[in-house]
Amino acid sequence: MKTLKNALLPLIGFALVLGLWEVVGRSLGESLFAPASSVFAKYIEMLREGTMLKELFISLRQMLLGFSLACVIGMPMGIAMGRSNISDAMLRPWVSIFVVTSTAALIPILIMILGTGLTLRSTVVFLAAVWYIVLTTYNGAKGISPELLAVGRSFSANNTQIFWKIILPALYPYLITGARIGLIHAIRAMVMAEMFVIVGYGALINQSGMEINTSALLSLLLTLAFVSLIANALLSQWGKHLAPWYEQQRQIL
Amino acid sequence: MNNPLTKLQALGLGALSVVIGLFVWELCATQFSDFILPSPLSVFAQFFDPVFAPRLFKAITGSLVQLGLGFTLALLIAVPLGTLLGRSDTLYRMFNPVINAIYAIPPVAMVPFLIIWFGLFLESRVALVFLMCFFDILVVIIAGSRDVRTSWIDVGRSFGGSRYYCLRHIVFPALTPFLFAALRVGSARAINGMITAELFFAAVNLGQLLKRSTQAFDASAALAVVMTVCLMGLLAQSIIHMLERRLLHWHLRR
Repeated sequence: MKTLKNALLPLIGFALVLGLWEVVGRSLGESLFAPASSVFAKYIEMLREGTMLKELFISLRQMLLGFSLACVIGMPMGIAMGRSNISDAMLRPWVSIFVVTSTAALIPILIMILGTGLTLRSTVVFLAAVWYIVLTTYNGAKGISPELLAVGRSFSANNTQIFWKIILPALYPYLITGARIGLIHAIRAMVMAEMFVIVGYGALINQSGMEINTSALLSLLLTLAFVSLIANALLSQWGKHLAPWYEQQRQIL
Repeated sequence: MNNPLTKLQALGLGALSVVIGLFVWELCATQFSDFILPSPLSVFAQFFDPVFAPRLFKAITGSLVQLGLGFTLALLIAVPLGTLLGRSDTLYRMFNPVINAIYAIPPVAMVPFLIIWFGLFLESRVALVFLMCFFDILVVIIAGSRDVRTSWIDVGRSFGGSRYYCLRHIVFPALTPFLFAALRVGSARAINGMITAELFFAAVNLGQLLKRSTQAFDASAALAVVMTVCLMGLLAQSIIHMLERRLLHWHLRR
């Protein structure tokens, strides 16, 4: 009975919000806030027509370029900061400066240097995501319990073995969490950069705003939400697969 | 690794690293023209430039207005709402998925909507600042109020505390560390929203200064604006950190 209730509650929540959306949409009118029913119809139409998904995939592919670069650079940097006090002290000021720097403020300057092409968008995505990946990995690496390392040492593991067999597996959950947080920021940055230079998916958003076509606009936003939620779910599934002990540990505690 | 640095050593290394960074920047700057990469000295000089500095100062005060309005509004709504959603299990199960779904939408993508609803000026800038930080604050507060240990509340109840009494004297104090976490995340996002709004709507204040400098290919002025935004962020973080240390000395941060 309790599990049934728990399964039903999110559905009731969604139904309430959809109902509210419909009522607000009907009373405000199509040009201010399209009701759920007309967005649904528009969404099907846009899926059939195909431009939305085509632009989305192009944009996502380009976003992944900046995001993977952020992972490749951010994760080792976070590990280095977490495991060595000297690199922690040297890198920390830079990380705390850059993590509060808004990427939006950098875009005009980056346009001067890099133009408005793919390099610009990848750089913006990279800069938006990398610091969160660094910080999450850093917290994980800093928190590895010394006992685990001591066990490794007493079985006379060398540094390479300790890194691959103890440190890295202990970091899996943090690497995945870092990637999840980084990806959210990467998607935000992708949309921002594209709306700034008016290309790809961001251009579609801009255009439907200009045409005051709120049902198209809401459809585009919904797709973004879906992409973000699906990517998040996939990453956390992967995390559970990589480090099944982590979730169990949390449940016990 | 095994020999922890003293606080002084860490500070010294940090300072050294910043000096090295600035030096490398200076070296690189001599290789490029001033239009692309100005030297750090010329960027710092902008802060004392008799024409630029007053403009910058005026822009900062203008930007702070929408920052303050949006951030305060977000706090005023997100904190009570977050506490409510976190404390009630039914409401949490009902609305958490919806909140996650909305949180997944990049706030910048809402810009066309904000233009339709609020126009191009102060109202829409405040709205964007609000949107950028509202959900981040809400998520932290919800997590925080779910984290309050039931045993603490049980103690309060067994001593005959009413629901209100428990909320006021147990839940709120337990929530304050999360409130500070929300302030830290929220203020960074709000400052981000502030400059984003000034670039995406009608360009005013710091955003206008930034846009004009880049259009005039004055990279050192543009970097000075970016540095100002960055310093505002750092200042906000350290003020919150200071307050947290003073008010929450009982709470050990891990």
